[in-house]
Amino acid sequence: MIMYLILLHGLLAVVLLGGITHQAVAVAWPSRSKSGIANSYRATNSSVYTNANIVLYLATAILGGIIYPVYRVGVRSFLENARLFAATGSFELKEQFVAVGVGMLPLYWLLWNRPLEDGAKPARIAVTLILCAITWYGFLVGHVLNNIRGLFGL
Amino acid sequence: MKMEKTFPVFAASFAIIYELAVYFNWALFTYHPKINEWQFLAQPAKNGPPMYWYGWLVTSLLGAIAVSLVSYPIVRRASTQFWLGWVVPIVVGVIFLYLFRSFFLH
Repeated sequence: MIMYLILLHGLLAVVLLGGITHQAVAVAWPSRSKSGIANSYRATNSSVYTNANIVLYLATAILGGIIYPVYRVGVRSFLENARLFAATGSFELKEQFVAVGVGMLPLYWLLWNRPLEDGAKPARIAVTLILCAITWYGFLVGHVLNNIRGLFGL
Repeated sequence: MKMEKTFPVFAASFAIIYELAVYFNWALFTYHPKINEWQFLAQPAKNGPPMYWYGWLVTSLLGAIAVSLVSYPIVRRASTQFWLGWVVPIVVGVIFLYLFRSFFLH
């Protein structure tokens, strides 16, 4: 059962990565031209991703919370015994960054669902980029830890 | 509708309270995964490692809601301070990097 949940957690994270990265690129580096694949990617209507990204972020975080005890009891002890402190610390940071991101979701929703006021445009770009960075960091750390025995030949 | 004006305050206060909760271990409850037991507030380890993350999240959520409600009479009249909602989380993230530096200095 836990393996299915880990797989689902990873798959949801991949979908979230796609959505939030596309939105972040489109808002930080917009394009009016749709000629070519790069311009088309940047010229997307980025506001349509917002609600899906919020649902995916919460679903991925909740699933991560459900499978977290397995990591805490089994995997973290293994990492500590193997003296892989950087790996342990990377996961500690992941849990803190994801939590801070949860607190930013209402603002993220507001910035994408209301007309832009003064000061809202840089905030929209910044909040989207921060959530994108948290998602990428969380995904990469989770992926490496999930495969750490193979990656490090342990 | 006007409550939306507190969202930057919510993001900032959530991040600050979460950081304090981690640092001072203000977990509203503790989970002992090995024996599948929940306890109120932060408790020491019992037969296996305790987990405080869920408790820190709930502490931060309740704290941020309280701060948002208290700030509402002020922020509803002022222009929305959007910067609070992203500058404070960035600062909190940097402080977390500093707090957890020992993992990477071995």
